This record gives sequence, C-alpha cells and structure tokens, in this order.
Amino acid sequence: MQFDRRGFLKITGLTLLGLSAKPGWEVFSKIDQPEPSPTAETLAKIRWAMVVDLKKCWSAKEGCRDCIDACHRIHNVPNMGTLKDEIKWIWTEPYEKVFPEHELEYSEEDYRHRSVMLLCNQCDDPPCIKYCPTRATWRREDGIVMMDFHRCIGCRYCMAGCPYGSRSFNWRDPRFFIKNINLEYPTRVRGVVEKCNFCVERLAQNKIPACVEACKEKALVFGDLKDPKSEIRETLKFKTIYQRQPELGTKPKVYYIL
Amino acid sequence: MIDHRQKIIGEDTALFEHIWKTGKGFYITVSILGALVLLGLYAYITQYRTGLTVTGLSRQIFWGVYITNFVFFIGISHAGTFISAVLRILKAEWRRPISRASELTTVFILMFGVGSVLIDLGRPDRMLYAIRYAHFRSPLLWDVCSIATYLTVSSISLYLALIPDIAMLRDLGGKREWFYRILSLGWRGTEGQHRRLEKAIGFVSVLVIPVMITVHTVVSFVFAMTIQPLWHSAIFGPYFVVGAIFSGVASVIVVMAVLRKGYHLENYIKPVHFNNIGIFLMAMTLLWFYFTLAEYITIVYGNEPVHMAIFWSKISGKFAPLFWLHFVLCFVIPLPILAIRKYRTIRGIVIASISIILGMWLERFVIIVPTLTKQRLPVEGAYYIPTWVEWSILAGCISLFMLLYVLFTKVFPIVPVWEVREGRKKAVTMVSERIKSYLPEQETLDK
Repeated sequence: MQFDRRGFLKITGLTLLGLSAKPGWEVFSKIDQPEPSPTAETLAKIRWAMVVDLKKCWSAKEGCRDCIDACHRIHNVPNMGTLKDEIKWIWTEPYEKVFPEHELEYSEEDYRHRSVMLLCNQCDDPPCIKYCPTRATWRREDGIVMMDFHRCIGCRYCMAGCPYGSRSFNWRDPRFFIKNINLEYPTRVRGVVEKCNFCVERLAQNKIPACVEACKEKALVFGDLKDPKSEIRETLKFKTIYQRQPELGTKPKVYYIL
Repeated sequence: MIDHRQKIIGEDTALFEHIWKTGKGFYITVSILGALVLLGLYAYITQYRTGLTVTGLSRQIFWGVYITNFVFFIGISHAGTFISAVLRILKAEWRRPISRASELTTVFILMFGVGSVLIDLGRPDRMLYAIRYAHFRSPLLWDVCSIATYLTVSSISLYLALIPDIAMLRDLGGKREWFYRILSLGWRGTEGQHRRLEKAIGFVSVLVIPVMITVHTVVSFVFAMTIQPLWHSAIFGPYFVVGAIFSGVASVIVVMAVLRKGYHLENYIKPVHFNNIGIFLMAMTLLWFYFTLAEYITIVYGNEPVHMAIFWSKISGKFAPLFWLHFVLCFVIPLPILAIRKYRTIRGIVIASISIILGMWLERFVIIVPTLTKQRLPVEGAYYIPTWVEWSILAGCISLFMLLYVLFTKVFPIVPVWEVREGRKKAVTMVSERIKSYLPEQETLDK
C-alpha cells in the first residue's frame, strides 16, 4: 500500500478523530443532569409558600426589622453599608412601588408609603433559572429556587432575568462585612450572586424559616400548599390575595393579604 | 538575487515596504499603544484583586461599560465579513485591496468582544464552567457557540487569502523564511492550487454570512430574551445586526484611511473605495434610523407604564443628553455628509465614520443601562458613573486591538498582493466579458 502526503494526512486525521470520539463524547455526556436525589419524590409532594399579612405587619412599631435581621444574621448576609454594594435577602419597599397597579388615589386608607416586606418569590415558573449558563441556580421539586455559590460564574444574567429584583451580587469580599459569622451556613466569596433560599437548610431540620420565627406580630405564615390542612391554606381561605406582578406568569409563591 | 527579488515584488513595492521599513512613527505608535495596554492591564489587575466593586456598577445597575463593549466590539466585527465576503460574492472588483484589512478587523476585534464578557465576570477563574456545566437554555451559551464558530470561520477565511502572499514572502528569503515556509503550506502558485484556493475561499465566504447574522442576533437575544422593559423586543435581532454592520463598516473606513496615510497606499486604496463604501454607509444610516424609529414608536403608541418610564428617561430624563448625543452622532451628522456628493470626500467620510463609531458605542450604552435603572421595581438613588477602571480597560482593549493590527502589518502585507495582481491581470477582461454577457445578443438585434 502506498501513501502520498495527502493520503497520510487523511488517514492520520481520521484516526485522531476516531480516537478522540469516545473521550469527547464522555466530556459532554458526563455533565448531564445531576442524579435525582433520593428525596426528590418526597419533595415533589410539597410546595412551600409564604403569606405576608400586611395589616399585622404594619401593626408593629415603625421601622421594625426583626425578620430582616434574623434572616441576615443566620445566612451571613453582609452589611456592606452602601447602596452600591448592597446585599439583601429580605428588604422593604413602599406599597405604591410594590403594587403600582393598585390605584390608591381615592382610597380612604393611605397605604401608599407603608413598607411591604419583599423577598425572593420562589416562583413556580422562575424566569431567572433559564438564563444561568452553568445551572448554578435551579428549582427544587418542592418549589424552592436554589443557588449554588460554588458554580456561579458571576455573569449576573439571572439578575437581569428576575423581574422582582430579588438577587444580589457580591461586588467585593463580603466576609469583612459580617459581624458574627454563623458557622452553620456558608459565607460567600466575591463575585457570586445570592438570594433568599426559603431557609432550605432549616427546613431540612424541620424548622420554619428564620423570618417567620422572628416575627412577633405573627404576620408571616409559612407552610405547604399541597397539604389542605396546613396553616397557610387556612390563612389563604376566603381572602383577597395579592402577588407581585402575577401578569408575568411566574406564579410567585409569596402571597400578600390586606 | 536582486533580480529574483525584483521579479517577485514587481511594481508593488509599496505593499511590502511596511513590513521591512520600521520608521520612527512605528516606535512612537507602539510605545503609546503599549502604555495604554499596560494601563488597561493594571486596571484589570486592580479589579481582579478587589472585585467588581471598583467599577461603577451596583446592585441595581449591574451591567455597564463591559457589556456595552461586548455588544459594540462584536458589532464592529461584522464589517470584515460584510466587506470581504459579501462583496466577493457580488463580484465587486473594487473590494480587492481592502478585503484583508476588513477581515483582520473582524478577527481581532472579535477577541475583545469575547474578552469583554470575561472581564465582566465575577468569577473569571470559573469561566470554563460555562462549557463544563453548559446549560443550553441560556442565551449566553448560544453566544458562546455562535461567536466561537464565527471566530473560527473568519480566521480561516483570513488565513486562506493570506497563503499566496506568505509564499511570496517565503520566496523573497531573509531571516524569517522558515516562518513563512511553514505558514505557506507548500504554495507554489500552480493552476490547480489556485483553483482549490478559489473554491475554498468561495465556500468560506458563503458559510460566513449566515454565521455573521446569527452572531449578532444571539447577542441581541441576551437582552431580548429577558422580560425587562425595552429589552424584550422582537425587533432586537435585526436591529442589532443592522447596527453591527453600520458601526463595523464605519470602523473599516477609519482603518482604511489610517493605513492609506500611514503606509502610503494612496495608489491602492483610492477615493473610489471610500466613495463606494460611503454610499453603502449612507444606506446603513437610513436603515439604522428606520429600525430605531420602529423600535421606539411601537413603545410610545403602546403606552405601557413600565416601558414608558424608561422611554421618558431616555427622551427627557437623566439619559436624555446621552440619548440625543447618540442620535446626533449616528444620524444627524453622518447623513448629510454621506448624502451630499460635495462632502463625500475621504475626509468627510472619515469624519462621518468616527461620528458613527462613537454614536454606536453610546447607542449600546443607552440600550443597556436605562432599562436597569427602572426595572419593574425602581430603586431610589440608583446611578451609574463608570470609574477609571472601566475607562482604562476600554482604552486598553482598543489599544491592544490597534497594537495587534500594527504588529500584523509588520509580518504580513495588509493589502492582498495576489488579489490585486489577479485583478490587474484578469479582472479587466473578465469584467468586460461579464458586461458583454448582460447585453442583448448582437445577432438578435440585427434581425
């Protein structure tokens, strides 16, 4: 058998291609879906949700920050001190901004400037998770939108995807800005995105979220929507319920009643 | 020996001279550019060590200059393909001397488009996760795929058209002969080799056009796929492609003018080239205006409060100076210059092009930033003023682009010698034959 240079190159190329096919395939197939966790089926029977009773919330003394402080303390959320670098899992905004569609011009009671507690809506159809190029954020079977701080590359596309402004970015190393580090929850490095996780680590220990526990007015109700006898289902019965921008089709699971 | 060299160079001394002659101007240019590159590098190191807090970005306005650069640089990269591939397919003979300059712009600036996204990452050390854990629902992954394809195809296209010139440099001998020998892939200029090269270039030219269109379409999808007001627009794909060709052609004109002046190529890059591209640029100006109008008029007529808040912040709010400046730079200044024959001189076209380049950078900025200030939940006191870090990195990117360009011209001829010669030898007869074939047959006329 005789080869000229062209023939030799062709054979070599094809051989290399053939040899690299299998490892190449493995590289791209290995990264597929993570193994479904053994609890996936159990989780799918649950749908966590929260109700914010605004009247009760407003009955607290002006400027109450119990829920925010409790959350930020146990999740090592830093207090960056500036609006620019700010990181927040729970925060408040005036009613008129949260529900701009509620025309309040002629209302007897003026809610306009009352504070409304905000957190990640843990949407049924969360827009943010679509945008993540590395699947660092995803929706768990019980509806919690999770965040993997170790896989996040910090492109902030999820922040552009979230219509509720629920996500924060670590513009600098946050560890210097945490007063007392809670060793039971990871701190973050600079350059990753974070947000409320419905206290997924406390739920695993059969505890309710920290903000719900911290609220002295009992304005926050947390529970499983799929359980007809749960407290949250009782609370939602026969009430006018508000969600933030339901017209976007994200199906938020943080409800507001007034 | 001298005879042999003279035979290769022929009458095109000017095309080789910039490789051999290194004047004072070269050293000055390289030192200035090098200094700016170092400044950009220093800025990036600062950012890498402290985090993105050194930029003007904030929780509310989390994308700024870097993402603007990304869209802008990738936009510029469209011209190379447009001028070399499209004009090749259209058999526009005048493209010959400028095809390499425009392809080179494409290949080099594209790298900075990719680089801008990487500079913007919070964790650049994890950038390969986007491949390892690739999530193809994310438009960013679509970008990765199409830009990688585009970079590959346009590099191949640049290289293919370089081969005969590299062979010429090899035959001229000298210190770098070994280098040219490897790159020339045994080119001897035979009939068969020419035929294969033409075929390959033709194939790549056709292939690169759809790739080019997908590239800027998916770049626009990064914004259009979100539900943010004034980003979520179906027109964004074609709008961005038009803007890309618009700014890209303007950039190539500036590059051409600089090369012409700097390397004394007046004999090759002639006023007719500027005039022809200038007319095309005028058409793009009008097309850009049409898309901009179509985009905003649908918003205004729809009158949705969320959209209108941003619309007004551009028209009369805090972004109004930037918005109107970009409109003036992209439309009001270039249109009369390009439309009126008297002003469509080389100088006029270059002024119009510089105006368009600046305007298009601002256009990207004005598309990206205002939306973030007033998303569905506006935050009081959200502002964005880019810091020295961002400006230095922008300056560094542009300088490094120019530096690479200058260094390229020290190694390879920037005007494709073989294409110019081919034009000189064959094109006149080919074109006159072609024109004859358009005409009605003589015999039928006689009857």
